[in-house]
Amino acid sequence: MFRRHFAGLGLAVAGALTLGLMPAATGLSTASAQEAFPTKPIRVIVPFAPGGRTDTVARLLAKKIEEKDLLPQPLVIVNMQGGSGGIAGQATLDAEADGHTILHWHHQFLIAHAMELVPFAIEDFDSIGFAGGGSPVWAVRAESDYATLDDLVTALQAEPRSLVETIGIGTIPHFVGALLANEAGFETRKVQAGGGADRLKMIAGKQADIALFSAAEYLRNKDVAGGLRPLVFFGPNRIDVISEVPTALELGYNVTWANPNWWLAPKGVPADRLQLIADALRQAMDDPEIKEWYVTNALDHYWTDGATAMDESATLQAALDEVAATIK
Amino acid sequence: MLEAFQTTFSFWPLTFLLIGTAAGIVVGSIPGLTATMLIALTLPLTFTMAPTTAMALLVGEYVGGISGGLISATLLRMPGTPASIMTTLDGFPMATSGRGERALALGILASVVGGLVSWVFLAVLSPPLSLLALRFGPWEYFALVLMALVMLATLSQGSMIKGLMAGFLGMVLAVPGIDPSVGQLRLTFGFQSMAGGFSLLPVLIGTFAVSQIFKDLLYLNEKLPDVRVERRRIMVGFRDLRTHGANLLRSSVIGTWIGILPGIGGNIAAMVSYATSKNLSKEPEKFGTGHEPGVVSTEAANNASIGGALIPLITMGIPGSVTEAVLIGALIIHNLQPGPLLFTTNPEIAFGIITSYLVANVMMLFLMLFAISWIAKIMYVPRHLLLSGILVFCVIGTFALNNRFFDVWVMLAFGALGFVLERCKVPLGPFVIGFVLSPLAEEQLRSGLMLSDGDPAGVLEYPIATGLLVVVVLTLCWPLIRRQIEAVRKPVG
Repeated sequence: MFRRHFAGLGLAVAGALTLGLMPAATGLSTASAQEAFPTKPIRVIVPFAPGGRTDTVARLLAKKIEEKDLLPQPLVIVNMQGGSGGIAGQATLDAEADGHTILHWHHQFLIAHAMELVPFAIEDFDSIGFAGGGSPVWAVRAESDYATLDDLVTALQAEPRSLVETIGIGTIPHFVGALLANEAGFETRKVQAGGGADRLKMIAGKQADIALFSAAEYLRNKDVAGGLRPLVFFGPNRIDVISEVPTALELGYNVTWANPNWWLAPKGVPADRLQLIADALRQAMDDPEIKEWYVTNALDHYWTDGATAMDESATLQAALDEVAATIK
Repeated sequence: MLEAFQTTFSFWPLTFLLIGTAAGIVVGSIPGLTATMLIALTLPLTFTMAPTTAMALLVGEYVGGISGGLISATLLRMPGTPASIMTTLDGFPMATSGRGERALALGILASVVGGLVSWVFLAVLSPPLSLLALRFGPWEYFALVLMALVMLATLSQGSMIKGLMAGFLGMVLAVPGIDPSVGQLRLTFGFQSMAGGFSLLPVLIGTFAVSQIFKDLLYLNEKLPDVRVERRRIMVGFRDLRTHGANLLRSSVIGTWIGILPGIGGNIAAMVSYATSKNLSKEPEKFGTGHEPGVVSTEAANNASIGGALIPLITMGIPGSVTEAVLIGALIIHNLQPGPLLFTTNPEIAFGIITSYLVANVMMLFLMLFAISWIAKIMYVPRHLLLSGILVFCVIGTFALNNRFFDVWVMLAFGALGFVLERCKVPLGPFVIGFVLSPLAEEQLRSGLMLSDGDPAGVLEYPIATGLLVVVVLTLCWPLIRRQIEAVRKPVG
């Protein structure tokens, strides 16, 4: 505690010195310590390899923040994949809680915790906010016999495990599928696949019948090798680019998966610093270019403040813990 | 396509293609730094470029990066990039026996041929090939990987038992991390850092580069075998095309095919084609001792795998590896959707990638031939400076892989392990092969079993997989069969 206090003091002094010893001795007040943030580039840890949605969104927002000069220092994206996000999460918690290290993840965090793959929980973090998000669809091959979700559910109820669902064990497709299966009362035969590309390969190659895809993946690949037929969308409401796909809620199943882009910080970062980062992100989100990018990439464009984001996540965590108990 | 050539040959794309290829070769030849890192690192720079220029830069880096690995693999026995790991097996012995320039020349020739062959497939046969690749399910992958493992089992020089032990050790060390089929942590001993297992790069760099550095440190004052390279001797003739023609073509086709299959890339392409060349060879015992066909088959295959990997990327938007995932990311950032629609919505991009790939290969040929006399000068650099320089890059590259220091410790530990293994005359080749191939075999086998509801006989429903498994059994039994045939023949003769 003492050390942090002195470090803060040191920062304030350094800040005051660089600003040309402005307003005299009062420079040592907390107000000036607040102004001194950020003093160096802010590290944004992304638990995935470069190129995916979480990485791309972080980079786009970082670029916009720099372009519009929303923060005095740039955001630097640091990719740390592996261990179901545990490596990135631990690195964030190990960093000093001064706001210069933050985390950009999504609700796979909750699944990793439910599966006991990570030694930390959402309570160990401060929530900055949701920068929009995106929901997946459940799809079958275009020439499949099942035209609607009800057809599929009926078939599976009549003959359990007669259709192959390709999932990553202990990942989002597994949990979203299980949420629906528990709600509707059916069982599929599950086959492990590495990621979205592998799931697409197994559907198109006819090794599997059902798979979960992000809406963007679906749009990109709906005409690949015979095509995909979306049966249900797991968003809270329909989205324009795939307006023909009904939501699970509309079909009478209480299942949603909004998977927000969640910005987090290690617990203990001063609230005003979190607010500064949140404001910059929110303003970057408001930019028309970013908005358009979200829409064309089948993502929901919104900003949710930190406290609300944490509450929603905590509710979902409790539900996922229950699911984990049934599938582990 | 013609228009795409015009776009590619305009000023900016061509300039950045050249920069990309050159940067790729440099980064690729430095142990520890890989093409993937370079591409991920330059990704932000491409945000402001025109999409065609951006893709030209990235494709150039990719081609250069895979090709450059050949140099350090041959001259230092340190794979500059994971894809060139197999090149060390024959390239380095060639270099130490005074045929370094020959190895480099053949490697460059093979790289270019591999690139051109896979380009033909990319330009002409993309859609049908990617459809064919989709037929490869878990059982087919498993059978393919098992075939490579069995064919490579005889790879080791000397004691068969030691080779098998090394392979087994590699397999064991590939186990820690998250179990792919139950999603639970295994063998991490409670260390959170182990949750991601041991990454490929630190293991490869440790086992080959760092262990070599340890070894060289012991013999720092001894005179080194002469591996100097003179430029005028780096020439290959049409004769080579004739002698190695069949090998070049076969390895390029294998490389292209492995590249098309998502999830496996350059290093596995090189392993499979090396194993095939060795098993088809009339003198398999020469492989691993500085045999020219060895270098040819690995370098043709690893370069061809890039063209192959671009096929599902362009036609279906399916990334075959992390590198391709970054390329897709670059397209998405420019609001372009890779996939079958790309040819109709943005043909200049789709064809731009295809033409860039061709031009990058040609540029690579000239850059490598031009630069090789300079690159070879590293052999004149005092050993202690060279080794410490390389070690620095190994540490930087390994750290940059995932931005954490744990990987650096892994690299050093595997360096020590590699050193000890070599001292005990345990070959490193089987060790690395076991480490690379067994996780793939495991995941695919378990997926296959899930597909067949736990029944191993389920594989019989898949003709390709069954066919490959028959090859596996024949390879295993061949020595026995051959002995029988010879025993029968002898009395007659």
